[in-house]
Amino acid sequence: MGPLAPNEIISENTNYLIAFFIGIGFGWVLESSGFSSSRKLAGIFYGYDAVVLKVFFTAAVTAMLGLLFMSLFGWIDLDLVYVNPTYLTSAIVGGIIMGAGFIMGGFCPGTSFCGAAIGKIDAMVFIAGLFIGVYGFAFTYGWLEKLYLARYMGEPKISEKLGLSDGLFGLLLILAAIGMFIVAEWAEKKFPREEY
Amino acid sequence: MKPLKLLALIIIPLGIIIAAIPADRVNHSRLSPDELLQEAGTGTQFISPDVVADMLVQKDPSLRLIDVRTPEEFDAYSMPGAVNIPLSNLLADEYTDILNQDAYVNVFYSNGSVYANQAWMITRQLGYVNNFVLEGGLNYWFGNILSPEAPSQTSPNEEFAKYDFRKSAAAALGGGSVVPAESVTPAVKAVKPPVTARAKKKPSGGC
Repeated sequence: MGPLAPNEIISENTNYLIAFFIGIGFGWVLESSGFSSSRKLAGIFYGYDAVVLKVFFTAAVTAMLGLLFMSLFGWIDLDLVYVNPTYLTSAIVGGIIMGAGFIMGGFCPGTSFCGAAIGKIDAMVFIAGLFIGVYGFAFTYGWLEKLYLARYMGEPKISEKLGLSDGLFGLLLILAAIGMFIVAEWAEKKFPREEY
Repeated sequence: MKPLKLLALIIIPLGIIIAAIPADRVNHSRLSPDELLQEAGTGTQFISPDVVADMLVQKDPSLRLIDVRTPEEFDAYSMPGAVNIPLSNLLADEYTDILNQDAYVNVFYSNGSVYANQAWMITRQLGYVNNFVLEGGLNYWFGNILSPEAPSQTSPNEEFAKYDFRKSAAAALGGGSVVPAESVTPAVKAVKPPVTARAKKKPSGGC
């Protein structure tokens, strides 16, 4: 039956309405779990706070298990689920820029809006920087186009590239996630930080 | 219990379950009998002969006619550009690329529509899309598209338009002469038949 919008079970507009409510819920959960604090967010890079890693990996694992089981029960057609196309070069370059910005600014794009919503000035400055980056990219697109579109890989899945079944890759990812959580909790004890 | 332990206790068994299930069962899009019945009942699998004739005349590159009759019948007569996939060989590996794709509009045809419909039902059950059935089959195609009957004088204009369209299509596809029917109003443009094929929209957007 699913996905709902591509199968025309719900209309585009209903889809946006649901996205609106999910977005509000997402923002609320982000704020209430402390994601509007840039110190907490940057903690992942210094080892004293691994909440970013835990939350986002738990979310990814939950979504992955949900999709795989729903596909197994025939509730969703995974072929119709949107997968971002991969341009390898720009993914690597963009990832480095985004990571550096995350370390320096203490926010990622979503959490900066979250911080700005509760009146954090550093988050607002971060958003201003974000728009400078967006416009800068847009106005220099002519020069960057070749780099941006280099090494197009379609819509690959890691499980396909490795020749594993989706389920087996899922299990490996879960084990990797649990392993990372254990390391992260160890690091939190090893590099404590009291005041924030 | 520590939250990490609790999380591990929940997701690791779920991961083991999903890893133990054969891949083709996790990634299927098989229809339940209910869904198949509903689709078959609404008749969305049928494509009207007028639409096919129009696509043939326009040389629409997305149209692919698939003859599900036997090779002997196919050799005796086939529709222009058709490929032959006998119903008994439908599941052969060499035809999977033709049947399971999203670029072409595949139209199954047989003499009537029974065999073509069976081919559609099998491919639909396999989760393939973009496969359709020529409504009425070759019999209707011959009787109504290639040699259309002139409508009676009292018929509505649409009937004349349809007749004119079929006449010219028949001429383009071999057979018949182009003599417009005497319609009630002199200038009736051939109405383009509505396309009934409904393609699934690819979703777009991300986070």
